[in-house]
Amino acid sequence: MSGHNESILREPLITGKDITYAKITDDILLPVENKPNKAWWIGFIISLCGATLWVVAVSYTFWFGIGAWGLNKTVGWAWDITGFVWWVGIGHAGTLISAVLLLFRQNWRNSINRSAEAMTIFAVICAATYVVSHMGRPWLAYWVLPLPNQFGSLWVNFNSPLVWDMFAISTYFSVSLLFWYTGLLPDIATIRDRAVGMRKKVYSILSFGWTGNVKTWQRFEAVSLILAGISTPLVLSVHTIVSMDFATSVIPGWHTTIFPPYFVAGAIFSGFAMVLTLLLVARKVLGLENYITMFHIESMNKIIILTGSIVGVAYLTEFFIAWYSGVEYEQYAFINRATGPYWWAYWMMMTCNVISPQLLWFKKIRTSIAATWILSIIVNIGMWFERFVIIVTSLHRDYLPSSWVMFYPTWVDVSVFVGSIGVFFTLFLLFLRVLPSIAIAEVKLLLKSASEQAKLELIKEGHLDKEQVNEYIESLDKFDSVKQEEYAKI
Amino acid sequence: MESNKKYWKGLEEYKNTPDFVENNKNEFAEPLPIEDVLSEAGLSTVTPRRDFLKALGFGLGAVTLAACQKAPVHKSIPYLIRPEEVVPGIPNYYVSTFKGSPVLVKTVVGRPIKIEVNPNGGMFSTGTDAQAQASVLDLYDVSKLKAPVLKKKETTWSEMDAFVKGELNKAQASGKKIRIVSSSLNSPSAKAVVADFASKYPTTKHVQYDAVSYTGIIKANENSFGKAVLPKYNFDKADLIVSFAADFLGTWISGEEFTAQYVSNRNHKSLEKKKMSRHFQFETGMSLTGTNADTRVPIKLSEEGPALIALYNAITGNNLAGAALPNNAYATKALKLVGAELLQNKGKALVVSGSNDVSTQILVNAINAAIGSYGTTIDLDNPCKRYEGNDAEFAELINEMNRGEVAAVFFLNSNPAYDATNAKAFTDALTKVALKVSFADRADETADLCDAVAITPNYLESWGDANTYEGYYSVVQPTINPVFNSRQAEQSLLIWSDAAVQDYYQYVRNNWEKTILPSVGKTWNELLQLGVVSSTAKAAGAYSFGMSLEAVVASISASSKALQKDIELHVYESIPMRDGKHANNAFLQELPDPVSKVTWDNYIALAPKQAEKLGYKEFDLITVKGENGYAVDLPLLIQPGQAMGTASVALGYGRVKVGKAGDNVGKNAFPFVTFNNGTLKYATTAKLSAAGGREELAQTQTHHSFEGRNIIRETSLKDFLKDPAAGSGNHHKHKVYDLWTTDKHEKLGNDWVMAIDLNACTGCGSCIVACNVENNIPVVGKDEVRKRREMHWLRIDRYYSFNDEKAGHEVTKEKEIAHMEDLDQVSVVHQPMLCQHCDHAPCETVCPVLATVHSSDGLNHMAYNRCVGTRYCANNCPYKVRRFNWFNYWNDSRFDNYLNNEFTQLVLNPDVTTRSRGVMEKCSMCIQRIQAGKLTAKMEKRALKDGDIKMACQQACSANAIIFGDKNDPNSEVAKALRSERIYYVLEEINVQPGIGYMTKVRNIDSETKEAHHA
Repeated sequence: MSGHNESILREPLITGKDITYAKITDDILLPVENKPNKAWWIGFIISLCGATLWVVAVSYTFWFGIGAWGLNKTVGWAWDITGFVWWVGIGHAGTLISAVLLLFRQNWRNSINRSAEAMTIFAVICAATYVVSHMGRPWLAYWVLPLPNQFGSLWVNFNSPLVWDMFAISTYFSVSLLFWYTGLLPDIATIRDRAVGMRKKVYSILSFGWTGNVKTWQRFEAVSLILAGISTPLVLSVHTIVSMDFATSVIPGWHTTIFPPYFVAGAIFSGFAMVLTLLLVARKVLGLENYITMFHIESMNKIIILTGSIVGVAYLTEFFIAWYSGVEYEQYAFINRATGPYWWAYWMMMTCNVISPQLLWFKKIRTSIAATWILSIIVNIGMWFERFVIIVTSLHRDYLPSSWVMFYPTWVDVSVFVGSIGVFFTLFLLFLRVLPSIAIAEVKLLLKSASEQAKLELIKEGHLDKEQVNEYIESLDKFDSVKQEEYAKI
Repeated sequence: MESNKKYWKGLEEYKNTPDFVENNKNEFAEPLPIEDVLSEAGLSTVTPRRDFLKALGFGLGAVTLAACQKAPVHKSIPYLIRPEEVVPGIPNYYVSTFKGSPVLVKTVVGRPIKIEVNPNGGMFSTGTDAQAQASVLDLYDVSKLKAPVLKKKETTWSEMDAFVKGELNKAQASGKKIRIVSSSLNSPSAKAVVADFASKYPTTKHVQYDAVSYTGIIKANENSFGKAVLPKYNFDKADLIVSFAADFLGTWISGEEFTAQYVSNRNHKSLEKKKMSRHFQFETGMSLTGTNADTRVPIKLSEEGPALIALYNAITGNNLAGAALPNNAYATKALKLVGAELLQNKGKALVVSGSNDVSTQILVNAINAAIGSYGTTIDLDNPCKRYEGNDAEFAELINEMNRGEVAAVFFLNSNPAYDATNAKAFTDALTKVALKVSFADRADETADLCDAVAITPNYLESWGDANTYEGYYSVVQPTINPVFNSRQAEQSLLIWSDAAVQDYYQYVRNNWEKTILPSVGKTWNELLQLGVVSSTAKAAGAYSFGMSLEAVVASISASSKALQKDIELHVYESIPMRDGKHANNAFLQELPDPVSKVTWDNYIALAPKQAEKLGYKEFDLITVKGENGYAVDLPLLIQPGQAMGTASVALGYGRVKVGKAGDNVGKNAFPFVTFNNGTLKYATTAKLSAAGGREELAQTQTHHSFEGRNIIRETSLKDFLKDPAAGSGNHHKHKVYDLWTTDKHEKLGNDWVMAIDLNACTGCGSCIVACNVENNIPVVGKDEVRKRREMHWLRIDRYYSFNDEKAGHEVTKEKEIAHMEDLDQVSVVHQPMLCQHCDHAPCETVCPVLATVHSSDGLNHMAYNRCVGTRYCANNCPYKVRRFNWFNYWNDSRFDNYLNNEFTQLVLNPDVTTRSRGVMEKCSMCIQRIQAGKLTAKMEKRALKDGDIKMACQQACSANAIIFGDKNDPNSEVAKALRSERIYYVLEEINVQPGIGYMTKVRNIDSETKEAHHA
């Protein structure tokens, strides 16, 4: 990839002047090798409070029973599975970035894949906690595993989407973890090489004896590619299977064949929004503007428009099919979503997921950090409501009107969800402290070919088409990390 | 041949070293340190550190391992000498009688746990009501007193006897009056005891009063025909039934019995014969009977009298005054039609009224006489003895007490401090009585004011008898020894009157052997097996009515006028709570009202438009102020079908001294009842005002219209007669596609299914209680019901639809109903809903752990032990019949409604496991009964017969609306029923292949009535 010059038309992936390999290492390891700053501590303490709330709420649930939640005879899932699907969906961006973009040779992924994968792992952990805590008898959660057992030849029900879920999520978690850790090896070795004392010992164990010779690098590349190959289908399969929890049921509003692609698009949509939510802050606080550039932000925003629009089309298709099917239950389910007692949730979802992302068609907005960050939060809220709408509004009024009820959350419902966000951020902030938040080795690959300084040199060499150079320089306008005066001279 | 080869074990032996030679002499290569150990030095050696750690480790490990297995503590004590017929696990059945209805009591190792129907009960006992089903729980009520109480202190019976006898002697010496106050006593032996007591203490008088009185009918019959009796009504002989606010399928006189009679003319068997009775209901509040009527006309309380006068005029051609209903065109039109139809159905019609007003009942008698009901649908010669109370006598008692004429008063099965309309006057007067004795089982409102509480056992611990109808006798026999130190009231009275026979068992037996048994030719032992004996009924005579009605009509008109102010208040008995005597029964408290679906509360019911007019919203707290100034705050319930300008409040709530489940549930409505013209009146007036605040009622159903969905299928009799499949949707069957065409499970053996006749089900709810008791279903309490977490495996869905005059069709959709102007013409349908045991059960495919699976005999099983509680099955159940144990309801102090103590837990059915928290449950089709039936057949080496196995719900149903059986047996009742053209399956279009067929609801509304509807 390196070694030849990249087209000047491509925007730089690393900005800034005088970037050297050493500077990259220094910049990225800044939070790992130094005491955390105030911003980190504030964030960490808040997150830890959230995590504590989670522990309290989940312990309360385990102690007293699921009755602590607001569920009832008709609505058997609500905030629990909403939270589960939300977290699993968020995880998807990490896998898409690390695997699919790798296969497609999208080099810009190199700056964001590490954090995105970390996010995936933490999100799946949060999702998995829901899998266990939503059970009536969580101490028997292992019964969903096809383990040899003493109960006779009692097996799991391979027809049940929940069993598929169990396979999907556990596969997803293990592959993601493996992929993430493999990618971390050269970077951990870098930390090891710079560390002293106890830290050196710890990191040398964690680096699995990375030597950095050519053979190691070759194997590293090969393994990464294989893992990318394994992960790629998971991007599609995991949320497809999650969607089947609903799609294979008989409940109007759930029983929908469009769910798999619709859920996958929604997952990527929400995942990228979460990546943006995290990285826009991390970039600023950790001073990583040169590595996570406006180009990255804009690219992710473009993916958000695409997936957001797919989701929007899916919403409309559902409505059309409900009408076209002629099934009164189906029709009622959708009319009830939009106009029933939970209309506000539906319109919240429509506004956040379909309408507001369309603002990203405007370049001004998709290259504005503040606007992007706000929109990313809105998308996250909207995607939570999407799951809430699908789960609760379908269940609360299904076939027999005699059983129609309302669902109201309790403080425990809210605390488990808010707490899970706390757990997520606690893990993420710890990650920022102990591991490089950007793949050092992978970013270094780009320095010679795709960095701003490399491109500037190319321009200075003067062999390039003037028009193309002008276009390139124009494209730099949006970068907040590029000093425009440099180019004024040219 | 001896081998000369030499084998050696080691080089030492080969070389024969001196060491080896030395050691070889010993058995062990190394010397054993026995001496060392045994010597004192050995014993006192310091244990090396390592050995200590080893021992410690082993010891700790062993102890830990041993502790892992929690050693169960079995408190059960085996029988040293097993009582005859008691085999653990095998139930015994004993006949008995509950409130005059013969029952069969199921006992398991000496504990009565279930009430069933006595098959010898005949027409008077085809099913059991909710009270009977729930009554086992009263036996295990911890709120009862455990010993007799004298002056608020527990005492012994001898002290009690000494005290009471002393006081009685004083009373007798003073010549003052002695009064025994009871609710209607229909036990011949108890009556004899009272008579004996009265002969010993001649100033004694027995005052009978009923919380809900029928004095009006008795007096009216005395007045009209010279017979002061409650007649025997024959609803089965009536082709046309017109009821004026008599809830005869529910609370009026003998609901279960009337249900059986009524339904016999309307169920699938009757419809097969193309026959169906016709039922008009004119009433104020929406009663269970009203929900079943073919045509229900809301009328105000003040319109009831004029309506009857109008009907009388229509039938007889008279022109009595006061027949106008100026503000009710619908009723006027309907009455005309009813009058014409009554004349066409002379001798086959019945008019009943729920009023307790003598004049009103005299007019009803006149109408019935005019249409030839006496001798056919009304039998005055074999009267009903359920109610014999006399309101005036009780009112007089208060006066006597006030005048200081009463020296002693005994309360037997009565609680006037709670249920007398003028309870305050009563309690004030009571202070003037020297000896006050209550025979209650607990320190209830009246017992609390008494000197002595001579606690009585539950009927399941008692001897006794009942005479419900003339010539119809049943026995009460104990099924368990008295649990507490209680004594039957009759025995106490015998002891206090120094009777010759003081053992009540002997007394009852003597009484029967002397009077009843010889006349029916049975022995005592036969009686204890049959439970019921009856002598041949007398021929019912025809009675003619010859009185002048002028005074009667004047009185009716005056009463009607008096009601025309403020809001007309209708005070009624609710089906779960009745008169409040069983208010501490958690099963009854959680039984939803069949109409409003409210549990654990009473409320003020207003018509939707009325509430709108007054500016009240549902569940607003309303202050209801009665004529006498009594005021309570009640939450508002919007009740479709309630007459405009009226409100309804249920009796039986608001008890304060009944026990922890029933105390302070709802508000007492007895003080609203008025006493005038010699009888109690349940029609009165009240002023309403907003009390501020809101209290959500705990309803089990919160959406009341079926949204035009074909889950409810109904037709009119006219259409049915043309085409029996009318309305069932059976003409337009779609082709069924099946994913599993090649993988059909053959159902060999049995295929358990049900058929439910929507035309038979009245919605009374006794099946729900029967199911609760049979299957140990926990009661969850008001808050949990409010959270929509009631656990009932079987529920009855009740839907309202409205006749839209302009559109000319039924409106079932909530949004359209909201825009309707006239909501008076309500039709109601009741649909029992339980696990449908689908052959393609959606719950089964989604369970990750196979906790719910299908059986080869068509049942959907639930393996509680395997359930991990994902609730996916409940979400995927289209019928929403699965119930989740959100908490450990039966053993969690926060839900201490009744079951959180070892005593009450004795009510649990040992054949059904209690479910822990986090586990799903649902109707099992009483799998324990199926299994028991199969085993019995197997033991008897025969095939299962149809009818061997009965579901708990089916058994309790007086209407026989539930038919259970084997579909694979083409001759079974259920297989026949399922071949009916009326059968449809709820949600059959999603092809879950439910196992429960429903028969269409048929309404006997012909074109003429429809015209009346459109009037």
